[in-house]
Amino acid sequence: MTAQALEQRELAVVIGLEVHVQLETATKIFCSCSTEPAEDEEPNTRVCPVCLGLPGALPVLNEAAVESAVKIGKALNADIAEDTRFHRKNYYYPDLPKNFQITQYDAPICADGTLEVSVEGTRRDIGITRAHLEEDPGSLQHKGGSIDTADYTLVNYNRAGTPLVEIVTEPDFRSPQETRAFLAKLEEVLEYLGVFDATRDGSLRIDANISLVPADEVDDDGSISDEALEAANRTEVKNISSHKGAEKALAYEVTRQKNAIKRGRAVEQETRHWDESRGITVSMRSKEEEKDYRYFREADLPPLQVAHWKEEIPIPELPDARRERFHTEYGIDEESASKLTSTKEVADFFEDVAAEFDADLAATWVADNLLGELNYRDMHITDVSDRLDEFTRLVELVDADEVTTKNAEEIVLREMLDEGKDPDTIVDEEGLGKADDDEIGGFVQEAIDENPDAVEDYHNGEGGALNFLVGQVMQKSKGSADPGTVNQLLRERLDE
Amino acid sequence: MSLNAFITKETLDGSDDGPLSGKTVAVKDNISTEGLRTTCGSAMLEDYVPPYDATVVELLKDAGATIVGKANMDEFGMGTTTETSAFGPTKNPVDESRVPGGSSGGSAAAVAAGEADLALGTDTGGSIRCPAAFCGVVGIKPTYGLVSRYGLVAYANSLEQIGPIAPTVEDAAALLDVIAGPDDRDGTTRDAGADSNYAAAADGDVEGLTIGVPTEFVEGADEGVEEAFWAALDELEAQGAEYREVSMPSVEKAVAAYYVIAMSEASSNLARFDGVRYGKSGGYDGNWNEAFARAREEGFGSEVKRRILLGTYALSAGYHDKYYAKAQDARAWVKQDFDEAFEDVDVVASPTMPVPPFELGESLDDPLQMYLADANTVPVNLANLPAISVPAGETDGLPVGLQLIGPKFGEETIVRAASAVEN
Ligand SMILES: [Zn+2]
Repeated sequence: MTAQALEQRELAVVIGLEVHVQLETATKIFCSCSTEPAEDEEPNTRVCPVCLGLPGALPVLNEAAVESAVKIGKALNADIAEDTRFHRKNYYYPDLPKNFQITQYDAPICADGTLEVSVEGTRRDIGITRAHLEEDPGSLQHKGGSIDTADYTLVNYNRAGTPLVEIVTEPDFRSPQETRAFLAKLEEVLEYLGVFDATRDGSLRIDANISLVPADEVDDDGSISDEALEAANRTEVKNISSHKGAEKALAYEVTRQKNAIKRGRAVEQETRHWDESRGITVSMRSKEEEKDYRYFREADLPPLQVAHWKEEIPIPELPDARRERFHTEYGIDEESASKLTSTKEVADFFEDVAAEFDADLAATWVADNLLGELNYRDMHITDVSDRLDEFTRLVELVDADEVTTKNAEEIVLREMLDEGKDPDTIVDEEGLGKADDDEIGGFVQEAIDENPDAVEDYHNGEGGALNFLVGQVMQKSKGSADPGTVNQLLRERLDE
Repeated sequence: MSLNAFITKETLDGSDDGPLSGKTVAVKDNISTEGLRTTCGSAMLEDYVPPYDATVVELLKDAGATIVGKANMDEFGMGTTTETSAFGPTKNPVDESRVPGGSSGGSAAAVAAGEADLALGTDTGGSIRCPAAFCGVVGIKPTYGLVSRYGLVAYANSLEQIGPIAPTVEDAAALLDVIAGPDDRDGTTRDAGADSNYAAAADGDVEGLTIGVPTEFVEGADEGVEEAFWAALDELEAQGAEYREVSMPSVEKAVAAYYVIAMSEASSNLARFDGVRYGKSGGYDGNWNEAFARAREEGFGSEVKRRILLGTYALSAGYHDKYYAKAQDARAWVKQDFDEAFEDVDVVASPTMPVPPFELGESLDDPLQMYLADANTVPVNLANLPAISVPAGETDGLPVGLQLIGPKFGEETIVRAASAVEN
């Protein structure tokens, strides 16, 4: 089909993703070096003969990495391979210590899964072609320019050998927004599984394949024939590192490709680099056309039989299921249920609180008050996970009417977060203990005695007088009195 | 004149006490020794000093052995004569105008000349057995997975094993006892050999042993080699063994399959020598691909370059199925032939090398001739089996080796049979 014909037709967007996920194992995939960067670590210090690829060193597979991959496979409803094995991907690049990468080729550990995403209320299943294990290369620092213009390049192998799972999707995305929703969902699932640390720099790296095909080639169920996909020229966009980045990079590519087609130009089949700071994709011109990686079996790693691990390795309840259960089991509305399941830690925290109190009260305190205050302080639930007891005590004080809701929210909770004190100490120090009725009775009498004019106004039927007196009593009690109780006591006393 | 058996002569003492205490050992220079340069016979690694010991070196030290130096070898193990070494050829102590065989020529020559009591070699396609045969000593290529390869600089990692070279079968078996056994750092090792006593198996008792002789292994051998071979078998028969001919048609394909697999793996294993982290630097001019190319052009010898180029070709898109995949099929066929043979016989015998040692310089210009000399040894590596070469007479005053091949982890059987040949 010619570009002329194409420019007359409605176009549909076709996107597939390759997502590289760093696994949060204690040690690297083939050696016992830590995967966790030390603070201010020097380059090339977190290395050993194996991850440096020194002559004679051999890889030994980290079981924890395999476990993580099996968990991911289960969460994505994928098949776990009966026999899985490793291959070498051969290419010369200075960040690759051996000038080949150990990866998987014809027998990936996971294949044929799905992940459901929803965008603006429409749910879609995204097909997962495969997920396989591989080693992360080291990292390069180009000094004095970009890769093409730098004076020289430094190599740091500290990252080399960090376990990666590469998740490859079917070309099932029909918009950049869907890729963003997918990545957010995927990250949520990975965090639930405890195999991934989103806060680690470079822990999620994304390549995207994108092409435009005539919209009438897309069936009602969103599927597209292989011929139509083959016919369309596709660009690969590399160097995407976040959900937002994926949406932006792909939106840019959609516009760029549409414009090219509108002007009667063909879209070139090429690899492009997402330049986050400039918000554009750039052609990686000098790159070779089709690389020949000369894949072949890695004889140093015997084949693995892990299909039975699927039964043996448990995975936690996943976010969708948990959201649904919070809705049905606790009767929590969808918005709060979403907030409460945003991470596994939040959901666990909520369920611990809900075990002791009414679910609505627990939901309000965790979803609205606690998460709101944490968010305001740029803190995370994990920062207070070990203070569950203190938080429960705070809710208990409110539930037992010993502190007013207002004081609990505005004073106690904030001081707990800002100063690290426990709620009882704060209540004591601030004198926030709810005044009992005798005490309030005393304040009421004082207010009446001290404000004869207001009392007279009250008896003359002036509505504002009562509010004034309530305010006086509240002041005397430093807010620890319940306004309803004060109102009632005042009326009784004045009407006697 | 020295034999040039060692690339580096330096003494590393072992622990005070152990089964090898008082013994001197030469270590082939592709086995990593902490603090002692490990060149693989290549200019590429002329100044490379490993920061760690190979597992077998740790085991030697623990067993009380004294390492007396790093033995000469064909560059990265690629050769049958030790002439491709960047450090010059080693001479055969039996006849200094001849090669010691290879690639572990320095190890075998050192033992044959008494420059070391024992030696470690490595065998990818015959590199222990060939020099043992040519120098008139004993060499064992263990079952793949019996001895840890951790620290062995890889040439063809699916084929190679470290093994002993010694003056007698019992000494070789005793050294194998020290180095055999599983290693956490090599995922291809197996539990076999953990509590081995191979030395005790060298009792010369071959009563009732059945020996298979594949006609394919004997046909085409040098006449004097063939005579010595049959004489050795007659001797074993006289001691109570019996032999019969077996057929192994697959071995016709073995040399071709071996070289395709070995070169393919080599093209990947040797990719790391780019001058960035260690070894000969390619300097800083131009882009990094140019610097890599310079390091490799200057660092590698011509046989290594030939094998890397051929291996790269064999793995390339469009040729992979024609060469690499076919070679794997042939490998499976060779394994199957051995499996079938071992249903009927206890060991398989052949001349180790079909020819007596070459004259120095004779085979350098004809690599194909050199490759064909490996016809009897490479099938063993393709099938991951153990084999021993034991001296079995002479031809024109030059040593002839008898090769005895056993089933997987059948080291005791071949040690026992070989010890009878010494009687
Ligand atoms: Zn390491």
